[in-house]
Amino acid sequence: MKKIFILICFSVLFFSCSSKKEKKEIVVWHWMTDREEVFNKLAEKYYEKTGIKIRFETYAPSDVYREKVRAAAQGKLLPDIYSPLGDLRELASFIKAGYIEDLTPYMEEGWKNIFFENILKQNYYDKDNEWGVKQGYYGVPIDVVSIEIFYNKSLFKKAGVDPNKPPETFDEFISVCRKLRSAGIQPFVSGFGEEWLINVFSQSFEWQILGKEGIVKTIKGEIKYTDPRWIKVFELFEKMRDEKIFAEGIITMINKDAERLFATEKVAMALNGSWGINVYKGMNPNLTYGVFLPPRIKDAKYPVKIWGSSSFLNVNPLSPYKKEAVEFLKWLTDDKQQIVLTKETHNIPSNKNVVNSIEDENLKNFASNIDKIFPSLPVLEHWKVVSLKCRGLQSIILRQKTAKQLAEELQKLKEEVLKEEKCL
Amino acid sequence: MRKSKTDLNSLLFVLPAIIMFSIFTIYPFVKTFQLSVYKWDGISPVMQFVGVKNYKEILFNDTLFWRAMLNAAIITFLALTLQNLVALVLAIIIDRGVKFDKFFRTVYFIPPILSGVVVGLVWKWIYDGNYGILNTVLSFIGLKEYTTSWLSNPKTALFSVAVVHMWKGFGWGFVILLAGLQTIPRELYESAAIDGADAFKQFVHITAPLMMPIFFIVSILTILGTMQIFDLVYSMTRGGPAGTTEVPITYIYKYLANNELGYSTAMAVIFGLVLFSLSIVQIVISRKVKKT
Repeated sequence: MKKIFILICFSVLFFSCSSKKEKKEIVVWHWMTDREEVFNKLAEKYYEKTGIKIRFETYAPSDVYREKVRAAAQGKLLPDIYSPLGDLRELASFIKAGYIEDLTPYMEEGWKNIFFENILKQNYYDKDNEWGVKQGYYGVPIDVVSIEIFYNKSLFKKAGVDPNKPPETFDEFISVCRKLRSAGIQPFVSGFGEEWLINVFSQSFEWQILGKEGIVKTIKGEIKYTDPRWIKVFELFEKMRDEKIFAEGIITMINKDAERLFATEKVAMALNGSWGINVYKGMNPNLTYGVFLPPRIKDAKYPVKIWGSSSFLNVNPLSPYKKEAVEFLKWLTDDKQQIVLTKETHNIPSNKNVVNSIEDENLKNFASNIDKIFPSLPVLEHWKVVSLKCRGLQSIILRQKTAKQLAEELQKLKEEVLKEEKCL
Repeated sequence: MRKSKTDLNSLLFVLPAIIMFSIFTIYPFVKTFQLSVYKWDGISPVMQFVGVKNYKEILFNDTLFWRAMLNAAIITFLALTLQNLVALVLAIIIDRGVKFDKFFRTVYFIPPILSGVVVGLVWKWIYDGNYGILNTVLSFIGLKEYTTSWLSNPKTALFSVAVVHMWKGFGWGFVILLAGLQTIPRELYESAAIDGADAFKQFVHITAPLMMPIFFIVSILTILGTMQIFDLVYSMTRGGPAGTTEVPITYIYKYLANNELGYSTAMAVIFGLVLFSLSIVQIVISRKVKKT
């Protein structure tokens, strides 16, 4: 009797599960909290249009998201659409493990033509790339962010600087900083406590002084970090330190704190991303500011370049709805949806055809400089070298190291890394 | 026959616990050792066996790891001395009976139960060089020359983090020490007082010897807890400025975040062994002290 009862229970459970009508649902994991609302609105629209349900799941902050994705990858539990949130080296591991779909066939159908080329190339692998990944496109950019220098027009005016003429050259930048200091205003802030932001600032000088070729040669070990051009980059930080341009506590400051200082008018300039427009609007709607490119170095051989990236989404090849996921991403990057995303989130669209829909003057400025974004490199510097450079730049600001000392330390580590890579 | 059946029944009862313990403790433990001899990014299907290379690198070349250990040791030393001294003094005061003792007991135990990240962020604002309360107070009382960016100044950063750690941690020591003090029979103090022993002598000859086992427990907990400090450092300085407040766990985390699973687990193993050795040394000392 007992056995029969158990059998009935199991049968009911089994048939109730299997008889359930299968509905298509695409799961998207993302970290963009500011886009949550608009993503859900778009998901509803897509459901009405196609009958396919899109479930956006937000995991923030980005480092938590990264860990979740990595853990899910190990358990083969990745959703239909996600992003590993890493550089080309990390992306390559996911591709080689079979966790990211090659989107080249879809892109070659004409899809790629709607995107900014240099942005799309950030998830693209060239032939003979160092990671051995098959040539092609692997990610879909949703929008674009880039980093420039924000400046407070009222504080510029207060210091006797023309608010409509932000500095263009490094010398002008220093001269503006001097005026601001003498007016009792802290000149410059950024989240230099987060290593990547001090790296972005340094890179804007590295690209001008060494160019793409010089940087690639350094990564390959053909140019030493003790090269006078590298020392010149580091000396710029010594110069800025001596001119007292940095805000109090910049070395341990995370970007949120730096944004707060700029929004509350405690600092006149801030190196920050285009997302700052949204952030400052929330923190201080009355803030009057403009944006300008990182200063041009006198006698620099190469033009000014800026850091820029996109929020990429990748498709899981193990997903049963792989094709539907690609179709959804095509729809999401289409003109109509991109206009909605731009208007609601104040980000630069990844679809270049709708750039004209941007209303904010400062965002327009960011959009006009997309062509200046660092192009992706065929090789990447080892993270330990990058980390040492960032910590070294912090030490220069703290007067613990000189430019030459940093260059020597970097070269020493670089040689060790090259030796290790050869051994492997 | 009957005995073996009873044993089997007993085993069945503990089996769920054994399975859980094996999955969540033994397996990760063994896996950590296994990973530490590989080079692996956590995603690639291929793991490269490197033997003891990671260990050699950490033990003989990685000066930053040992600097992080030294930083943690400095905070631990401060916690062992200052933090536990404050905890002991407060426990003695409360044990002697003061007004509102229940209120103080509760208040002293609030910091330990707060989230480390929240405490870190609050203190970060207090220490802030631009709008921090500490600098405002110092300026107000005429000590403006002592104002600084506490967490960005390499001379003050580590000590500032240590102060917050001690503030957050003294409540644990306080509770344990107070519990220990309350087990000492009052009659001993009364007899000593009749014999003319003052408070200091009572402490040296009654409180200290009887509290010795408790002191060892508190010091082991302090060492293990402080060496593993992470949340406060990460939320306040992220190991900066320029690595001044880097501690082992933030350093291991940095490697993990950069997908160096093999190297970071090797560091975790070495760190674990250091803590294990410290605990053994303390236990041996405490046994010897007990015997004497």
